Amino acid sequence: MSDAAVSTAGHGVGAPTKVSPFSLVLRSPGGLCGTAILIFFIVVAVLGTSITFGDHMEVHYLSDGTVARLLTPIQHGPLGTDYYGRDIYTQLVLGTRTALLVSIVSTMFMAIVGTNIGLFAAYYGGRIESVLMRITDLAFSVPFLPFAIILVVLLEPSLWNIIITISCLMWRTTARVIRAQSLSVKQRTYVKAAKVAGASDLRIIFVHIFPNVLPLSLLYVAFGISWAVLSEASLSFLGFGDPKTVSWGQMLYNAYISGSIRTAWWWTIPPGLCLTLFVIAVFLVGRELERYINPKLW
Amino acid sequence: MSTRGFVIRRFFHTVVTMFLVLSMMWALFRLVPGDPLVIFLGQGELAPAELERIRAAWGLDQPGWVQYLQYIYNFVTGDLGQSFYFRRPVTEVLWEPLLNTLILMLPAVTIAIGLGVYLGSRLGWRRGSRLESISNLAILVPRALPVFWLAIIMLVLFSYELGWFPIGGMETIAFIPQTWWERLPGFDLIYHLILPLFVAVLVFLSDPLLIMRTSMIEVAQDDFVTYARARGLHEKTVRRIAQRNAMMPVITYSAIMVGFAFGGQVLLEVVFSWPGMGRLMVNSVHHRDYPVAQAAFFLMAGVVIVLNFIVDILYLYLDPRVSYE
Repeated sequence: MSDAAVSTAGHGVGAPTKVSPFSLVLRSPGGLCGTAILIFFIVVAVLGTSITFGDHMEVHYLSDGTVARLLTPIQHGPLGTDYYGRDIYTQLVLGTRTALLVSIVSTMFMAIVGTNIGLFAAYYGGRIESVLMRITDLAFSVPFLPFAIILVVLLEPSLWNIIITISCLMWRTTARVIRAQSLSVKQRTYVKAAKVAGASDLRIIFVHIFPNVLPLSLLYVAFGISWAVLSEASLSFLGFGDPKTVSWGQMLYNAYISGSIRTAWWWTIPPGLCLTLFVIAVFLVGRELERYINPKLW
Repeated sequence: MSTRGFVIRRFFHTVVTMFLVLSMMWALFRLVPGDPLVIFLGQGELAPAELERIRAAWGLDQPGWVQYLQYIYNFVTGDLGQSFYFRRPVTEVLWEPLLNTLILMLPAVTIAIGLGVYLGSRLGWRRGSRLESISNLAILVPRALPVFWLAIIMLVLFSYELGWFPIGGMETIAFIPQTWWERLPGFDLIYHLILPLFVAVLVFLSDPLLIMRTSMIEVAQDDFVTYARARGLHEKTVRRIAQRNAMMPVITYSAIMVGFAFGGQVLLEVVFSWPGMGRLMVNSVHHRDYPVAQAAFFLMAGVVIVLNFIVDILYLYLDPRVSYE
């Protein structure tokens, strides 16, 4: 139960009354706000280049032919330009795509691997369980960011390698939580009944146990999304991002290494604000989900 | 199982985990493209015959498993190799940054856990109050802020604009104390420490706080709390009793938190130019100085592994209800 997660979730699975989690999330002001912000980011990411001024690598020039460095929002476009004469608004919009891509793909991987490891460990027990849980312990003993730095550099910095790296460690929390939950589900009578009726192991795991741990797995997906976005931003900020794509962390890295953090507030504030807003939105939705899964806490 | 049996078994697990991390590192660094000798000596510096001689002298002509055993043996005996970049033994290179990291991280983690337990127990106790719903949102924000961004904002605001704090590093070069308080021992260090420490505490605080709050809510419904109340004890005393019992998850979490703190530490050290291990690691990775990067990583992982072991043992004494079957 020693998890980096907010709470020791995992008591009752599902609320006693049948309410759809989505309607519950939307009913509270926090959940509604979070959902609205997330939808906004998704729309921006989908629209992408159709609402920007060209490409994020495009360098803008002044009328006298010099590079349009560090133009303030008043002098240029909605958000000004960076030290290299590139449009900040364009980078911000296209950075949304990177954030969503990284978080969705690595969280999916996390959910699939973590849930399966937890399910199989709990169901089979014995040697299989101890091997799987030992691997999980090993993953827990690795400090995330330092490991990610080494792995990304060894694999060469690229967006997919960042996703692989984040996925490599993120499943550990899910695996532990799902195992604990599955252990208790396994003891229920209907699971025993299914066994007596001659259901196969895989059928029991995926048809009888899995639906009961699914809400919990989804909750950790919500935590995982914010974790993945922040990890990508941190790696990019340290200069280990994909040089070919633009991300919010990378914008901050460029602002930092070009020595513009003191003057160019229009360069440092927007990407950080987007990151914070995105993570808060995910937290708000996740919190409502948690309220649904574990009502005792609220 | 007896307590001693448990301790021995956990110790064995700890050693195995260390060994696995070490092996994983070895395997990962074998993935590095290129000849390690060429990385170390530079391209075309030596004649091929000379290169072969050094290769044999360093055991690089041996089969993989011999190199692996040699690697494990060297690590266990404390020989972490030579830094490609500094041209000195890694242990020598690492020593000072390690100390500097601890100067920042130890107080940060201690204050964060202490403050988190204090605030979390109060929030969990006064559940449902207006204060709680406001503070829940207030905790959300530092949790969501990217560490490095918060650090940059603080640096710009308090160091560049207001000029209250130095713009980074650990000491003022050629520091000359002007007033009596500046003559106090360690003044300059503390002066440099305040801003990064503040950001670190803010970032590390939310997790122990939330865990403590959750745990407090659960403990508040336990029978012994009702009993303490029924005995007519003062509400403050009841809370103290509940708090002591609610602290267990925080203690378990502390080992994981240190692992997490190392990550935050890396980012903070970079922004605040703090000459610690995290910054050294980032730089050594940029310089392709693999022995240093590898040793720094192993040191961080080692601390987390050992802490996990300590926490497990501590649990035995703190919570006698726990049985290790």
